[in-house]
Amino acid sequence: MEFSRMSGNRLGLREIPPLLAGLMRQIPGPFDQDCKAVEERLFPRPSHSPGEEALREDWKAHVEPDLHALFLSARQVVEADLRGFREEEGGFALDFPAGHAESWLNALNQARLSLAAQHHLDEADLSQPGPMAILNERDLAKFQIHFYAALQQWLVEILDLA
Amino acid sequence: MLLCPSTEICFKELTRDVRGYFNGLLGMAKTKEVPGSSTRDQTALAQPWNVVVHNDPVNLMVYVTMVFRRVFGFSREKAETHMLEVHQKGRSIVWSGARERAELYVQQLHSHLLLATVERDGT
Repeated sequence: MEFSRMSGNRLGLREIPPLLAGLMRQIPGPFDQDCKAVEERLFPRPSHSPGEEALREDWKAHVEPDLHALFLSARQVVEADLRGFREEEGGFALDFPAGHAESWLNALNQARLSLAAQHHLDEADLSQPGPMAILNERDLAKFQIHFYAALQQWLVEILDLA
Repeated sequence: MLLCPSTEICFKELTRDVRGYFNGLLGMAKTKEVPGSSTRDQTALAQPWNVVVHNDPVNLMVYVTMVFRRVFGFSREKAETHMLEVHQKGRSIVWSGARERAELYVQQLHSHLLLATVERDGT
């Protein structure tokens, strides 16, 4: 798999193996948004202090809808970019405008956090390198989180250079 | 505005700033209605609020560093120091000051999916 910065201010990925192309198509979801653990992780409380119930209610009413809209918008940008997937010699390829990198970072983070929350993956689970064999959904989630991390790392480097 | 990652966030900041302004006015009016408010209450109001970022096992170190630099305008070194503190100690106070501003920062950190809370200094 090859990452590149292309002419026309576009970012490109080449020689993507079919398995990874399949996982990339899953970046915008569907993740179990109804799962309480996912909801709590994507929309954490603004305060843990006792006596801050008013702030927490205000947050739910005024801030969380904005965050929902922001996260949905990022997923929609990625979903649209993913429609540009094409098959080439040596694997799949995809490119998208560099200006979409922020949306990609956000959507990748949503996906990683959702998967970790949904499968109850903790620090010990995730500090190991990716699983040697994928035997169940939990192993697949771990692999997916590591793969998405590599994509994020690439995007952060790109944005850092910008 | 320099700190805003997008126009959308800037707009949100603006609306919350306006709300904060009116809340501030209401707070002032309330203080005037209660004569002889204690020194302790005034001290509590003057206490700064901290923006605390908590560790989570998923967010990448480079990503957290990038977010700190963008949201707070930190140098790379300062951003990395706070990121390492989060990673090693479980939490880091990344900003202290007025409550309204602290809430805005927490909102921005949540928009980047970091675990952040606002808490009164000394709690």
